[in-house]
Amino acid sequence: MSIITIHNLKKYYGSGSSQVKALDGVDMTVAQGEFAAIVGPSGSGKTTLLNMMGGLDLPTQGEIIVDGVTLSSLREEQLAVFRRKRVGFIFQNYNLVPTLTVEENILLPLDLDGSSPDTGFLGDVTELLGLKDIMHVYPETLSGGQQQRVAIARALSAKPAIILADEPTGNLDSKNGQNVAGLLKMTTELYHRTLVMITHNLELAQLADRVIRMEDGRIME
Amino acid sequence: MLENNNLKICSRLVRRDIKFHKARSILLMAAIALVCMLYTFSFALGGMIRDGYIYTYKMTYGSDSHIIFYDLNRAQAAALRGHVRAADSVTLSAIGILSDDMLEYRSVKLAAVSSGWAEATDAVPLHGRMPEEKGEIALDELTMNSLAIPYEIGTEVTLWWTTAEGEKREDTFRLCGWWDSLMGLSETCAWITEETARELYPGMLESGHVSLGVTLYRPEKLEEQAEKMLTDLGLGHIPFTTNLACNEARLEFVGSQAMRFYRMNLIVVLCGILMIYNIARTSMQQNVRFYGRVKSLGMAPRQICVFSIERAAFLCVPAIVPGWLAGFALYVAVSPFVVVGIEENPALLFFRLWPFAAGALFTWLTTLAACLLPMRATAKSSPVQAMRFVEGQRGRSRRKGKRRRTTIPLMALSGLARQRGQSVLTAISLLLSLMILCGIWTQAVSYDEETYVSSLALSDYRIEDASATRSIQRYNPRSRSITPELLHALERHPAVTDTGEISTMEVPMYANEKDRAPIVATFEEKAEDGIARKESMANNPDWLAGYEKLRESGEYIGIVTGVKGLALEKALAQSLYIEGSFQPDRFASGKYVIAAGADSGQIRTTPPAGSKITVNGRKFEIMASVPYESSLISGADSKEAQFNITYYMPMEIFDELFPDHGIRNVMVNIDHGRQKEFDSFLAKLLKGTGIAVTSYSDYQWNFRDAIFHRYMIPLFIGSVMLFIGILNFCNAIVTRMLVRKKEFAVYESLGMTGRQIRRMLLWEGALCCGVMVLLLVPVTAASTWVWGRWWLAHTNTWCITWRYSLMPLWVSLPVLLILAVLIPLYCLKSVTRESITERLRVVE
Repeated sequence: MSIITIHNLKKYYGSGSSQVKALDGVDMTVAQGEFAAIVGPSGSGKTTLLNMMGGLDLPTQGEIIVDGVTLSSLREEQLAVFRRKRVGFIFQNYNLVPTLTVEENILLPLDLDGSSPDTGFLGDVTELLGLKDIMHVYPETLSGGQQQRVAIARALSAKPAIILADEPTGNLDSKNGQNVAGLLKMTTELYHRTLVMITHNLELAQLADRVIRMEDGRIME
Repeated sequence: MLENNNLKICSRLVRRDIKFHKARSILLMAAIALVCMLYTFSFALGGMIRDGYIYTYKMTYGSDSHIIFYDLNRAQAAALRGHVRAADSVTLSAIGILSDDMLEYRSVKLAAVSSGWAEATDAVPLHGRMPEEKGEIALDELTMNSLAIPYEIGTEVTLWWTTAEGEKREDTFRLCGWWDSLMGLSETCAWITEETARELYPGMLESGHVSLGVTLYRPEKLEEQAEKMLTDLGLGHIPFTTNLACNEARLEFVGSQAMRFYRMNLIVVLCGILMIYNIARTSMQQNVRFYGRVKSLGMAPRQICVFSIERAAFLCVPAIVPGWLAGFALYVAVSPFVVVGIEENPALLFFRLWPFAAGALFTWLTTLAACLLPMRATAKSSPVQAMRFVEGQRGRSRRKGKRRRTTIPLMALSGLARQRGQSVLTAISLLLSLMILCGIWTQAVSYDEETYVSSLALSDYRIEDASATRSIQRYNPRSRSITPELLHALERHPAVTDTGEISTMEVPMYANEKDRAPIVATFEEKAEDGIARKESMANNPDWLAGYEKLRESGEYIGIVTGVKGLALEKALAQSLYIEGSFQPDRFASGKYVIAAGADSGQIRTTPPAGSKITVNGRKFEIMASVPYESSLISGADSKEAQFNITYYMPMEIFDELFPDHGIRNVMVNIDHGRQKEFDSFLAKLLKGTGIAVTSYSDYQWNFRDAIFHRYMIPLFIGSVMLFIGILNFCNAIVTRMLVRKKEFAVYESLGMTGRQIRRMLLWEGALCCGVMVLLLVPVTAASTWVWGRWWLAHTNTWCITWRYSLMPLWVSLPVLLILAVLIPLYCLKSVTRESITERLRVVE
């Protein structure tokens, strides 16, 4: 059963001779619980595709259905709630809120929603990611690896249907990168989450159930 | 499923944001306090102007009561008192009105003591007491001065008064108290005991002629309410007056006056938003990216909106109280210059709470508007775009062409061009403030103090007889407040360099047909506006009656004026002899007088030179006629003498004609180096005499006060705007520097020396100033010229000398240049503190 269905997705920037086709008719599905890695050269449309899946950007044409929700039918307010409940994002540059502590950052999607955290689940996640001792510090005092682990915990906190990771190890050294990628795979498997990850690192891509190759805005599977 | 929103998280995010960015938050709070100060100040001032006018109207009306009904009998008064609309009432039982000629411009009722009425009309003795025994009387100081009654308890006072039936009587009383009040200028009471009133006019108190002052529950549409009360009670036509302070038309006028001050708040709104927004702009990129980040995590637009609203509130709360205090302090300092003539501090007298509430509300709205701007920047963009937001990036590329060699000035120019959005905003803010400031400054300096004061103050001091200190006081020649001893003391004072005396006497005169013909021709003739000159005096029936009397019978009132020393000099000072010429020897002979009339050679308002007049049986020939100098004398002449012809004669001759006359005015010039000494001498000399002094310094002060009053607020607002513009300018420079940390590191990594970077910054500063000069100077100069000339063409003020001045601009430009050069150099130190590699890693 597919949790993400994408049909004829196009995203064009500009017009005329200067038009850039970031996505040019993408069709794909991702099954529930699957770990899909998207690889491809820079400018091939990987990040654009991921942003579209997460409702962070709007397509020029095409349809995206995530967990039964057609994103094009959502108003902005609904899209925001969709992101906070159904999607967990992990960015290359972490995107942690500097004014909140680690704990508050992790709980932010839940707080935005006004829902109560599953303390047992969160305790396990933070334990697993080695964040127990740094829950009350601010992100600026953490290393890159630690910050990315916080981002993973935040992505899992609302128990979203899918986790979208955009080069989560891109800012980390290889050892830290391996660790984070391993943790990411382990946690998503453990909690039965669907993971779509962009990476340049083919070694990390080998960890995925499926590798999707992109080139010039198209999928070359 | 997709509707749940938690708003509590917003306040946590706001609190953290404020705590995390302490320096920026403190700066924002300081700016908000400044905005709150401006709002509180201008609202309080506008309110004070409104209350000040209403206070003046109440003073003019002479009572706190909303409606005064006259000529009531006891039953009618009781009925009105019990009417459902009447909240309170005071009663006055007058037996007549003081009818001395000297009180013809005022109405002083002889009435039995009514403490309620006395309080409502501010007619309670401040010296002595209210009459308690038979034959006692309490008067106001203005009446005493007009009637030359000494300030002494127990003084025998003989008064002429007229009963309601028109019978004129003379009675003597014993003075038991007096007061001074601005409320009783045109109408007041002379208090006697009820027993005295009954004795003077038996049956009067019982029969009626009661006045009833009514305070209404709802003081609006007073005339309508008064009519309604009379109709309800079936009282028919009863005369009444309504309080001017509640008059709709006047309140509308008052509202329009206060609106001038409230309108200034529009500028404060603009300034406030600019100032707060510009401070917030220093972290615009950070803010927009923050919004993008939280949006990507699922923060809904409504939550972002609540976040902005709460952020505005959190920033306002600590800033509002200091803003209130500063605004109130400014209001207290300025108000005595805005509302004059009140003994109490008008700031405290007209203190209201609403300006503080309005100030806080508007401050919050202004802050909110500024806080919503970054949110608006993210509203139309997706979270991805917001997270990638780079300030000032427009994707503009350079036109293709020949490759230019990169030089430091070119790099500076390019650096400047990248920030053009913010530079334009800064320039607009500076331009707006400088246009306002220069325009207003040009107007303010064009008012000519010298012209004004020299036209009104003919000497350093004019000492005025106690009966002639106000324009509503008819001068009483019997008054002897300026005594020969006082005059000698003045003349003997070492500071005095020159003196002059003026005495006047109203004398019935006759002009034969030949002598009055030019006068009649002048007033019957149509002036430039197509209206006969006499018609332009239609609003002064006493003048018209006097003129018609002259035209028909030749009879008129001559104001014979004895002049001595400085007074003669000033009477002839303009040396504009409309007719004839001044010959000192012949004038001193006592056979000649000088006539004073209209200030024009084209028209005649005096008998021709060479014609004869008779004063007290003695014949005089008119030697010359000169323009009448109204500033020579104080007080008013009788109503009968509203149309008059003034004749100057030597004081010695005046003494011979009227041996028992008093002195109306004394003119004194002094050595200005000894002014303080003379002022204290004068204060001691005149204490308790009722004599008033108008000095040259008073006119100067009045002039400066009027200019200050007129231009203080716009100049103040303009200065604050300029200050904000300069802050924005500094802010733009600092922001430009802070966001270039990585850029400077790149330059350095490519081999640019610190000296070259500094040179580039100096070039940037100079170019920035150059652009500002190119924009500010021509636009400000042109707008000031156009506005100034328009103002000059549309203003009616006579004491203006056109003085085009761009002073605020010339003061501001060097300040801008210094800031544009020094701030970047200062910021460079902190921006380049870290190593090149550390700075290259910075994600901007």
